[in-house]
Amino acid sequence: MIIRAEHLTKTFRTRRRGDGVMGTLTSLFSRAYDDKLAVRDVSFDLEPGELVGYIGPNGAGKSTTIKMLTGILVPTSGECSVNGIVPWQNRTQNGKQIGVVFGQRTQLYWDLPLKESFELLRAIYGIPADVYERNMAEFTKVLALDEFIRTPVRQLSLGQRMRGDFAAALLHNPPVVFLDEPTIGLDVVAKEAIREFIARTNRERGTTFILTTHDLNDVEKLCDRIIIIDHGQKLYDGRIEAIKRRYGRQRILVAEIDGFCADCEIPIPGVRKLSQAGARVSFEFDRERVSADELIVALAKQYELKDVTISEPELEAIIREIYLKGLGVDAPVAEALT
Amino acid sequence: MASRYLATYRQFWRLNTLTMLEYKTNFFIWLFFTIIYHGVAVGTIWIMMSRFPSMNGWSWREVFFLYALYMLAHTLNNTFFFTIGDVPTHVQEGDFDRFLVRPLDPLFQVLSQPGQIWPDELALAVVVFGVAQSLVHLQWTAASAVLLVLAMFGGALIDFAIQLAVATLSFWVIRLDTLRWVVMSLENDFTRYPLSIYNRGVRILLAYVFPFAFMNYFPATTLLHKTSGPGYTINPALGWLTPVIGMLWFAGAYLFWRAGVNHYKGTGS
Repeated sequence: MIIRAEHLTKTFRTRRRGDGVMGTLTSLFSRAYDDKLAVRDVSFDLEPGELVGYIGPNGAGKSTTIKMLTGILVPTSGECSVNGIVPWQNRTQNGKQIGVVFGQRTQLYWDLPLKESFELLRAIYGIPADVYERNMAEFTKVLALDEFIRTPVRQLSLGQRMRGDFAAALLHNPPVVFLDEPTIGLDVVAKEAIREFIARTNRERGTTFILTTHDLNDVEKLCDRIIIIDHGQKLYDGRIEAIKRRYGRQRILVAEIDGFCADCEIPIPGVRKLSQAGARVSFEFDRERVSADELIVALAKQYELKDVTISEPELEAIIREIYLKGLGVDAPVAEALT
Repeated sequence: MASRYLATYRQFWRLNTLTMLEYKTNFFIWLFFTIIYHGVAVGTIWIMMSRFPSMNGWSWREVFFLYALYMLAHTLNNTFFFTIGDVPTHVQEGDFDRFLVRPLDPLFQVLSQPGQIWPDELALAVVVFGVAQSLVHLQWTAASAVLLVLAMFGGALIDFAIQLAVATLSFWVIRLDTLRWVVMSLENDFTRYPLSIYNRGVRILLAYVFPFAFMNYFPATTLLHKTSGPGYTINPALGWLTPVIGMLWFAGAYLFWRAGVNHYKGTGS
């Protein structure tokens, strides 16, 4: 395995502050602390070449985990290693073998043409000339850097800057790359370009990726495996397909009915009418109890059907339910269609 | 390992030069204001001194020399260690994380962030010093030349170490502007005149607490043989102590910095 996290825990200790002037003054001398458990006993392993989505709501502990794995933070307890190196103990060694993209911040130099940031990184990582040239040629082609490589970074669009940041993070051929919200704020086209680049790098170079994101389309398009974390604890670790099967039992069928039906109902257990707009009626059905086939047959018996569509459960709806209610519930996908 | 540091530092200066060429107008505005700033400082000294024939036994030429000596050390620090002042911003904005995920020492990375850093002020300081040393008819001997170089580099190190210590506080304290301002004006305002004119409290502050007096006053007393005056004598050896004080302060400030980085790694801000 290339990344190992074992019972990883991080507690932040903040001095307790009182209210008002007196409270602030007394808190200067008091030893009262508040402990906040940001990450609680999280364990997982990654095999080389995996591309794993690490997701959770705001404040779930995603960034804190990433910061421990990149050597920025020292764990309060538990252990982690990247390629056999303990990140916080051996920061410099670890730095050579990881790449990091923080979507919210750039590592490019604002006042300088994009090319110059690459030159500086080349020196920082001691990238051999042949590797540098090969990577630059490839990234220039794949990320279409040509258009703006001589432009000062502050003049780049967010999408261009992000492409530059990806090239910068991968220039030294890191076997492990951490992506913290890499598509945040990007438009659909730019997102797609970034996703394609991640998938391509993973496929062709075997680079291991951990990706945190709020855009579940990123995860759905890129990852086979997701780890869900909330309140600092790991909720789920497994394949996306499995979570969909397990928690996305509800499907939606939309039927367009020829002729008027004031109150279309299907009296089958496990089917529920969601809404009706003119001739379009949507039903939610539990696919463990009713097959789509049965539902269509039953509908066709009563009404003249013009058109029928069935939608897959969307990951987003499932995850939203998990955030809201934990893993116990079955997630309806009612909102998925609206 | 070492080659990565060298290559990075070379790039740092190449990129500084590039920024200077890219922002020529800004460079000239900056240069203009640098000249005005030091011109005003020297002008103030001249006005002050024109009202008194001497200040505690120091002529205006000698006080001007004192300023020139300070300028040499201070601008040397500004040329090579200027970006240490960005640490509070790096910590507040979270950019400091970046330095921890790269395979170089974080302090080195802070000091090699390319920007608008040019040796223009240092060049000006050399010119000003050239004028000052001829005004006081500085006796050039091997000893005075060595002392001068030691004072310049040692003084820059003192300047840097104090700023490093202040910047390190930002790992614990969010707002540092006031303290930085106080230390900066202590340095700017009180190094312009001979230490002996101040009261005991200020003398202790500048000699022992924030030893800015070692940047120019003590070396100047040795260089100009002004080691005694009305009611005081100074050991001429003190002028030679500047690099020692610089190294001691730097060692302390660096340990403090290490503790700050460790604190950051424990708390994340």
